[in-house]
Amino acid sequence: MLLPKIVFTVILMLMSALFSIIPGLTRPDLFFAVTVAPDFRQTTGARRILRRFWMMVWTATLAGIAVELATGLTLVSLLILSAGFLGALVSSHGRALAYAAAPNPVLEVNLVAPREGLPGGPILAFLPVLSLAGLGLWVGLNWDRLPTRFPVHWGFQGPDRWVTSTPATVFGLLALQAFLCLLLAGSAWGVLNLSRRVSTSGSRAASERRFRRRVVQLMIVAGFFIACPAWFALFQPSAMLMNVWGAALAVVMLVFVVSLIHLGQGGSREAAAAPAAAEGDHTPDACWKWGVFYFNPADPAILTEKRFGIGYTLNFGNRWSWAVMFAVLLIPLALAGLLLR
Amino acid sequence: MPLQIDLNSSIPVYRQIVDGLRILLVNGELNAGDSMPSVRRLALDLGVHFNTVAEAYRTLAEEGWLAIGRRTGARVVQRATPNRADPQSGEAFQRRLRELVAEQQSRGVTRGRIARELRRLADTLERT
Repeated sequence: MLLPKIVFTVILMLMSALFSIIPGLTRPDLFFAVTVAPDFRQTTGARRILRRFWMMVWTATLAGIAVELATGLTLVSLLILSAGFLGALVSSHGRALAYAAAPNPVLEVNLVAPREGLPGGPILAFLPVLSLAGLGLWVGLNWDRLPTRFPVHWGFQGPDRWVTSTPATVFGLLALQAFLCLLLAGSAWGVLNLSRRVSTSGSRAASERRFRRRVVQLMIVAGFFIACPAWFALFQPSAMLMNVWGAALAVVMLVFVVSLIHLGQGGSREAAAAPAAAEGDHTPDACWKWGVFYFNPADPAILTEKRFGIGYTLNFGNRWSWAVMFAVLLIPLALAGLLLR
Repeated sequence: MPLQIDLNSSIPVYRQIVDGLRILLVNGELNAGDSMPSVRRLALDLGVHFNTVAEAYRTLAEEGWLAIGRRTGARVVQRATPNRADPQSGEAFQRRLRELVAEQQSRGVTRGRIARELRRLADTLERT
């Protein structure tokens, strides 16, 4: 009874530790989503904001752990933690605004910057979707060979939740997995083709390209991992294989996370030199709501570098972003409902 | 090969793109056969509307610098230099130059510095 609580406590502390180091991973001239002078982080003002941020994060963490240990209400504990994280971020963003620097108004674009394509080509990126489509075709032709029920959830000892094989559940499962794979492959393409390149020349551009490539590789690899459970569900291999899949997933994701942390947001930690003057990411500070949500109808980019965290976020000022958001929320929900009905 | 845009300038971005690209074309930094970035790519990197870049490319195509194909995108083409500039364009050039000089003076740039810049430009023109 105590072991799950201890595991949960350790997970909460790891989450908080990760959240605590995020301010150090952003571009040097961005501090809590505000454009600042590149050497601002070394000032007393910056250190004060950072200390306060850490205090809020760890206070929320301790409160979440206390609730979990005393009552076992995991959801409440997670809500406390999430509210604490968001509060710490919004509060720090507000304080950092007092130190905002005017970004360099001159943008420079290298007209002969190298073109960036999907690593391995588009077929590799969309292979998980194609494999699931092939599996769907096989299922349609060999329905009699399917088991009468199949698992939809696995624990350490093997499958622990099953559903009856019907056309709705089987094709619902395949469609759900295919949608997630399509979303990842589409996002990888979007990072390369629908986001802004902050630097296009020099060593900082090279680091940024490496960062972008790593993010795209992560999405493509994740697509392959996500396609696997559909095969496991319908062909029901040993629980051991599922455990190997879980362990491999954890290791591969850890390697990517460590690699991205090493590169820093936009490759800024790897870049040889920080910018001489505040440049930011060429998006206006005023368009970052709470330092988290980017809303800029004048920007044609659908995806933009996050200002807090590593990776990309949607430009909510673009109507296509809302279409993507609704698709991401509604389609999996509808398919999961079909599957578990 | 950099294209620079000043977001604080009173000159519209479309005009800055046209002017910036024209300088690269005239100086031979962009040559016949070179591919231009796609409208989408350049607009994303500059953070401006696709139409702004498309309009700039169209203007340069009308001047004979670019050929725009639906599939090939924008490409620099060999442009025949006009044999003789019409007399009115010479007057317009002088007027524009005087306006630019006056604008710089009103911003506090000294006469000496403006003269040096003009001399440097004249030297470059004579050498090429």
